[in-house]
Amino acid sequence: MRFAGRPLLFLAAAPVLGLLVLPLVGLLVASSPADLAAGIGSPLFAPALWLSARTTAASLAVVVLAGTPLAWWLAVGSGRTTRVVEAVVDLPIVVPPAVVGIALLETFGRSGLLGPGLVRFGIQIPFTTLAVVLAQVVVSAPFYVQAAAAAFRRVDADLLIVARTLGQSQRGAFLRVAVPIALPGLIGGAALAWARALGEFGATLLFAGNLPGTTQTMPLAIYMALESDVRVAVALSLVLAAVSIFLLLALRLAPSAVARLQTRSARS
Amino acid sequence: MRKWSFVVALSLALIGCGGGDIEPGTLNVYAASSLTEAFGELEAAFESTHPEVDVAVTFAGSQVLRLQIAQGAPADVFASANVEHMQALVDSGLVEESVVFAHNDLVIIVPPDNPAGIEEIGDLAHAERLVLGTANVPVGDYAREVLRRAAPSHEEGFEAIVMSRVVSEESNVRLARSKVELGEADASIVYRTDAGSTDRVRVVEIPRELNLIADYPIGIVEATGMRAAAEAWIKLVGSPEGRAVLERHDFIVPTPPE
Repeated sequence: MRFAGRPLLFLAAAPVLGLLVLPLVGLLVASSPADLAAGIGSPLFAPALWLSARTTAASLAVVVLAGTPLAWWLAVGSGRTTRVVEAVVDLPIVVPPAVVGIALLETFGRSGLLGPGLVRFGIQIPFTTLAVVLAQVVVSAPFYVQAAAAAFRRVDADLLIVARTLGQSQRGAFLRVAVPIALPGLIGGAALAWARALGEFGATLLFAGNLPGTTQTMPLAIYMALESDVRVAVALSLVLAAVSIFLLLALRLAPSAVARLQTRSARS
Repeated sequence: MRKWSFVVALSLALIGCGGGDIEPGTLNVYAASSLTEAFGELEAAFESTHPEVDVAVTFAGSQVLRLQIAQGAPADVFASANVEHMQALVDSGLVEESVVFAHNDLVIIVPPDNPAGIEEIGDLAHAERLVLGTANVPVGDYAREVLRRAAPSHEEGFEAIVMSRVVSEESNVRLARSKVELGEADASIVYRTDAGSTDRVRVVEIPRELNLIADYPIGIVEATGMRAAAEAWIKLVGSPEGRAVLERHDFIVPTPPE
């Protein structure tokens, strides 16, 4: 299985591998510790980081709370409706984020589909932190729902039937049997969704605008910093890349760690 | 048809003469967003008289173009909406000398139904949602200056109140305008030319004593491989034809030095 033993295979893979890794190396090389300090000290940095942390936490909560039942429904269903809904869930992955942004504006904006009705209740969504969260939910939910549905599909249906015969309610069987078994997959999906929300740019810029502290998340801050101080942009990029790499590692390690924990607690 | 060929022949005579040998290829013009319509028209005019040259105009906030040129973007000509961004490139030797070819002033724009009832600059303090350019894009910088100038003649803290109503800072003037066109923002401060090139906004004038005049410099990028074409472009912009196009799009054109 080792690359080293298959020089031809490695040679074929090298261009793509290089293209994936080199930009990160470039980013690292481009910034001296002094630049990094200047970037972190920039007035754009802290508010953007804090806003990104808050909004992605909120959007992740929404995605997991609403996405888990949806994923379960998709996993147990098999009819035509299920397949249609599955396709709809995938839409935000194939639609460019800028399109998602315009679509959200035409839905929740003042002259949009729901906007006038919302305004009557004094609710205005565009250009608010809520708009940032909504954009993140739309673009990241598919990643979680897909992963969760796949994980639920791997749950043995017989186990659920056994749980029911042992007196568990339907909800009990779901929460105590299906969710724990699917947990590694759920965590993986959640991490992917979080990473996607963290990187969300296009839909946010169009739907939520750009205001430091309110709607300027890390990716927007990087874009704006590029216009004034490249060092700040590079520093912000480094931090975001580091967070993402950490997420990715967690994503790779979490399933086995969870499985290990589960077997340990099952034994005790 | 005959009239058209006469115009072409005339412009050929006007621009073509003394143009030297223009290298065939692509002329990359980097221009401030506010020049979108005017330079779009001039692009067509240039290409009809110089069929061997394909003009590609890139429009963005001047600060973005400046950064791109500083990073080695293949620009041949740079037209900025303020002197500062141009001067930075001239100072670092990336752009040769520049000349101011147009002026612009600022107006307030509101959606046609004017939801916040903005009739004069003081009303900006009553708006719920304002959109301005960022502090780096020339139009945002100018808008802040207008607000600073307006502060003494308005209520206490006018500038801060207005700035507190800003819900988004956009990186070029067209993005700011689009938020008003969509009806999402109550108002924005943009160039007169941007207000003139859409019928989806209403103009509210800024008093002359508070307004300011934006200078548009143009210059050739030092590293250009299309020098003759770049010179011809700048010549076209300053020609009677170019000046007429700019004026038609509400730019103020400086009187040419005699």
